[in-house]
Amino acid sequence: MFTSEFMPLALENVASEAAQRKSDGWRFVQLLAVADNTGSGDRDNAVDLVYSYMKDGRLENLVVKNVAVGEDEAKVDTVPSITDQYLSAFVFENEAHDLFGVHIANIAIDFAGHFYQVPVREPMTIISPEQKEAHERAAKMAAAKAAKEKAAAAGKTSGADAENAAKPAPKSDADIEAKLAGLPPEKAAKIRAAMEAKAAKEKAAQKGEAGNE
Amino acid sequence: MSKATIIPFGPQHPVLPEPLHLDLVVEDETVVEAIPQIGFVHRGLEKLVETRDYNQFIYVAERICGICAFGHSLGYAETVEALMGVEVPKRAEYLRVIWHEISRIHSHLLWLGLAADAFGFESLFMHCWRLRERVLDIFEKTTGGRVILSVVSVGGVNRDIDSTQMDEILHILDGIEDDYRQIMQVMLTDASVKNRTVGVGHISYEDAVSLCMVGPFARASNVAYDVRMFGHGGYGELSDFRPLCATEGDCYARVKVRCEEVLQSIAIVKEMAAKIPAGDIAVPVKGSPAAGAESANILEQPRGECYYYARGNGTKYLDRMRMRTPTSQNLAGMVSVLEGCDLADVNMIILTIDPCISCTER
Repeated sequence: MFTSEFMPLALENVASEAAQRKSDGWRFVQLLAVADNTGSGDRDNAVDLVYSYMKDGRLENLVVKNVAVGEDEAKVDTVPSITDQYLSAFVFENEAHDLFGVHIANIAIDFAGHFYQVPVREPMTIISPEQKEAHERAAKMAAAKAAKEKAAAAGKTSGADAENAAKPAPKSDADIEAKLAGLPPEKAAKIRAAMEAKAAKEKAAQKGEAGNE
Repeated sequence: MSKATIIPFGPQHPVLPEPLHLDLVVEDETVVEAIPQIGFVHRGLEKLVETRDYNQFIYVAERICGICAFGHSLGYAETVEALMGVEVPKRAEYLRVIWHEISRIHSHLLWLGLAADAFGFESLFMHCWRLRERVLDIFEKTTGGRVILSVVSVGGVNRDIDSTQMDEILHILDGIEDDYRQIMQVMLTDASVKNRTVGVGHISYEDAVSLCMVGPFARASNVAYDVRMFGHGGYGELSDFRPLCATEGDCYARVKVRCEEVLQSIAIVKEMAAKIPAGDIAVPVKGSPAAGAESANILEQPRGECYYYARGNGTKYLDRMRMRTPTSQNLAGMVSVLEGCDLADVNMIILTIDPCISCTER
């Protein structure tokens, strides 16, 4: 079996790491870029780079986090090319430049942005509406789950008796919101409308009962 | 002193249906430099992972390439399974290996036919493709498809092969093997093949290692590297596996390695069919990959090692799916081997690398 590991790499060590790996007999496997669309990084327009090397069944993926990309030359990070050590990296470095806008200096075979004939610049950094929605939904679900866990922990410490704990607790608004956050917006809107209609019906029924009395 | 001239090769060329362009700098009849250009068929398939959930994307993955279709769906599924910690049933692993090896036979037979066509041996081309049709018949009988099989799912496979079908596969493979040995003998001994391949496009072991080449291209230069040797998945159940290598490093060696790999694949299918255990063919997979979870995977495709990477975001959609195909890894070797060759040998050299540009660009 081969093993696959991920480990961090600092941007300033990219070239020296490649030289070291080359002299140690590692094979360069690939370079890829991942757009950081989660907003977790401290930069607005950044990507992570993953350099993979392999030797004796060990696949090591070195991750360079938060590399600034884009058109503003003053703000971007310049990544050194490793094609002086591994010529085969020229394909991936040109690809990272054309699809993600990564600035890579001194590529041995540099296509200067004409490697891929794409109709828009840096297409892989564009966040699609679906992806944005998925991220927002995941964040809401995570927040609702954390709130629920916090509430459960607080309930435990307040010493609720076992009899009450055995009863199924009525669903709180937070629970319902957490469930709705995980659903597609159209479905969530339908459920909300149904819940409002039910509430209105119950209210009307209560009014009717009061009138009869 | 001879004058340097630039001769364009492709993207439309009779020998290569793939859109690869080369600027060949030639002096007299010798290529002194080859500058590659791809990018004519970039389809943005990796971007689609953001709008197709991790189960749906299998169908996108297998459409990256018609020849490695099964391999791409397998590589993708294994990567997502690693991301989510899914353990695949043993029977499914065996079935995956059987279909993957039959895909390799199909790919190599297709390639051998194209190679025969390139050096003008039309009848050999016809015979190779005749056998390939019988391999596609196996796919049709077991999966319903001939090229796009759609049998892999995250967690296992969608279809089983029962004992009757398995016997039929073995029977067809026995017939193919007999015919194939005759074709292989012509391929490896006929003067018209040797005249075009022996000593052409030589690349040394040292250069192959230095240029990080993979697949039969590297193994023809005696680089004993084949992902199957790590015994990942069902390959771990094989009694013995050794990469098939040649030492010559020329076009002939590349033909020879692929020729022998067809027989190796037939032997693997037979062994797996004999040892396949009973049991489930898939496990239900629920939930989504965790936010920020990453996994990397490698797989030996017919053209060489393919690398897969996935990153989850906490939903059923992935943030990133990456496939590094063997051809992109071999482009540096191709550029290097073309330098110094005769202009008339360029098409033969490019063909023996078996480039797949659609795979490379995705």
